[in-house]
Amino acid sequence: MALQEIWNGTVSFSLVAIPVKLVRAVEPGRVSFRLLHSKDYSPLARRMYCPEEEKMIPADEIIRGYEIAPDNYVVITDKELESVSPERSRTIEIIEFIDMKDVPPVYYDHPYYLVPSKGGEKAYCLLVEVMNQTNKGGIAKFVLRDREYLVAVKSTDGALTLITLHYSGEILPDEDIAPKTGKIDPGEKGRMKKIIKGMTADFDPDKYTNERSKKIMELLERKAKEKGTVEAPEFEEEEGEGPVDLVAVLEESMRQVKKHR
Amino acid sequence: MAGRTLWKGYIQFSDFNVPVKLHTAVHQERMQFHLLHKHDRVKLHQQMICAHEKIPVPLEEQSKGFELEDRKYILVDPEELEQTKPDNGRMIKVHEFVRTEQIDPVFLERMYYLEPDKTLNGYNALVSALKETGTAGVCTWTMRRRSCFGSLQINGKVLCLNTLRYADEVIPAKSLGLEKASLSEKELKIARELINQLSAPFQPEKFQNEHQKKLQDLIDKKARGEKIAVLRPRRLKPTAPDKLLQALNASLEKVA
Amino acid sequence: MEVAGKRLSLSNLRKDIYPSYGFTKAHVLEYYRRISNFILPHLKDRALTLKRYPDGTEKDFFFEKRCPEHRPPWVKTAEVLHNEERMTVCLVNDLETLIWVENLASLELHVPLARAGSPETPDSIVFDLDPGDQANILDCAMVALILRDLLSQMRLASYAKTSGKKGLHVYVPLNRKEATFEDTKRFSKVVAEVLQRNYPDLVTAKMAKESRIKKVFINWSQNDSSKTMICVYSLRAREKPSVSFPLVWEELDMLAKQGDPEKLLIMHSEAVSRLETKGDLFQELLTKKQKITI
Repeated sequence: MALQEIWNGTVSFSLVAIPVKLVRAVEPGRVSFRLLHSKDYSPLARRMYCPEEEKMIPADEIIRGYEIAPDNYVVITDKELESVSPERSRTIEIIEFIDMKDVPPVYYDHPYYLVPSKGGEKAYCLLVEVMNQTNKGGIAKFVLRDREYLVAVKSTDGALTLITLHYSGEILPDEDIAPKTGKIDPGEKGRMKKIIKGMTADFDPDKYTNERSKKIMELLERKAKEKGTVEAPEFEEEEGEGPVDLVAVLEESMRQVKKHR
Repeated sequence: MAGRTLWKGYIQFSDFNVPVKLHTAVHQERMQFHLLHKHDRVKLHQQMICAHEKIPVPLEEQSKGFELEDRKYILVDPEELEQTKPDNGRMIKVHEFVRTEQIDPVFLERMYYLEPDKTLNGYNALVSALKETGTAGVCTWTMRRRSCFGSLQINGKVLCLNTLRYADEVIPAKSLGLEKASLSEKELKIARELINQLSAPFQPEKFQNEHQKKLQDLIDKKARGEKIAVLRPRRLKPTAPDKLLQALNASLEKVA
Repeated sequence: MEVAGKRLSLSNLRKDIYPSYGFTKAHVLEYYRRISNFILPHLKDRALTLKRYPDGTEKDFFFEKRCPEHRPPWVKTAEVLHNEERMTVCLVNDLETLIWVENLASLELHVPLARAGSPETPDSIVFDLDPGDQANILDCAMVALILRDLLSQMRLASYAKTSGKKGLHVYVPLNRKEATFEDTKRFSKVVAEVLQRNYPDLVTAKMAKESRIKKVFINWSQNDSSKTMICVYSLRAREKPSVSFPLVWEELDMLAKQGDPEKLLIMHSEAVSRLETKGDLFQELLTKKQKITI
């Protein structure tokens, strides 16, 4: 499966540098829907749109701005963003290694995979293998677009995962909700432990499926039987963003023209 | 302070019922950038367009379809879809317990703190029992008409509920098609040593988001009309496979 | 004779250029003299391709891209690259050159969309509407009017002229240094394809003859540095001395509704009288700055 590259650069630790690509580790579940055009069931795509000119804006005409006052923006280019931390925008430098079991789960944010780029396969495998043997992960900071991420790089089933972590300041304190006393009924605890031990199994997420997905699948089967499927027209996927948007704008203009003719 | 109460329920397993209140555990603030049109700086918004005709499609002309095969869809009504949503419940049903470390962080989605509701009975005992057994409860519940799947874990003295991603949402590492390279025992040994040398306890407080401040400075400078020096990002030269052992050795010498 | 102080010997003035119409070389020269003020700005600094009819419109013609070697010393020229070949071309920047060129029986004046000094920068986009078999200029008019509406939706003003033969030309002035043929060709091609998709019975964007039957071919490929278009106000070499002439949109709309293709053919005499009363309807083409933003 070829996953779309989100970022590319280097993972480094000490004097070793491994060229890598960042790809998704999470996808929408099995039961996901597409939005369609009611008219002919063509799939819909998300595009940036200018409300004033009422047209689609191609990627090369889109800039990033920070609002300093209402409708007053300071424009920040991608190059300037990269320039804020030039040493971190193309390199994930592992500063130290930690025991993965020391990371409280509250810190984990979003997972990605790192896959080796050409020439990096061997060093990548070495890092995967050694992290697996030691159950250690690397802590690094890296910058992606407008944000600096604190990340853990760890080994999962022969691959490197990169998991973004929350900064400690983003974790809300729990003192105010923690139990006021630590009073425990030893009998109750003992009984609980016994039950827990009796109910302990290996973690197998495959056992759990979204109850709703099942219901949706049933609905889909029923619909397919009753109404069958609809078919979207065949059309050529245009290459690149520019022409697509030009066509979109022209077709929209054409629609306006036809309306008035 | 933990966020406000989001939901109330009770943890249920065997004949135990532990009433709890759910709170957010994380608060993220990030600088908000907007996407603008280059020539007039008008703020852009997202719009659904027809991939075929390339025209914007208003909400009333949008349908939902499940792609059965290429270009073939089963249409569904929004009302029917709404009916598939589960009814709200109050029970966090624990199905089994697993060793905490077996839950790979790739499954962790979002964490909530659980506050004891009215009584401490059972709460403290459960915290303690989970700690002593090194386990987490695998549970399901319904919140805001969503079926949730999660793990009940401890964070210090507090019970936490982590929503987990369903298995079909996680791309398996196996599907990446990575090939194994052959590694010598020497390479593995030196790499292990190096990692041990570079190891430290997990101290997240050491890492602050310095970037936000630098970015704010950049914006302020630009707002004042000052010139910005654009630095090129540094790209490291990859370690060649035949230089790997040499690089590991040199690293080890550096840190030892 | 002498034009603007420059000596020019004119030849074969009585030769019939449009024999069945009784239009001689003297008439041709007279036509161009009278409209020179209007045509010269459109010819200025553009590499002229001569299309010469030494024995009249019913006999052979030949194209000449190079400026003839025997040119008078005052004829302005430019060095251009054409298909990677260096050549000297004529620039018709003044009356005397225009008269000299017409004395060579170059009835039709073809010029590129870019000026010789910036051969890769088109001043305008052109949509060359060409009727296929069993279609006529009225069909072209319909397409031109749709095109005008579509362009105006995109906030682009456009201007139409007759080709002087069977077709119509719709121009979108740009007059911007940033313009490139790559952009204008892409733009015109997509526009042509969108029109084809929306009016499949009327429009084709395909060059192939068979796909043009009963349809109007939008020749977008004219937006190229190596292509030329007939200059506005140039005579055309048909039986009769017709002219490539601008029409305001209202008139085109009206003529399209009247349904007589002959009315869309402007003859030399009408061209002169219209120009002398209404002036250059294509003036905006040289000055109006517009941008294709996509």
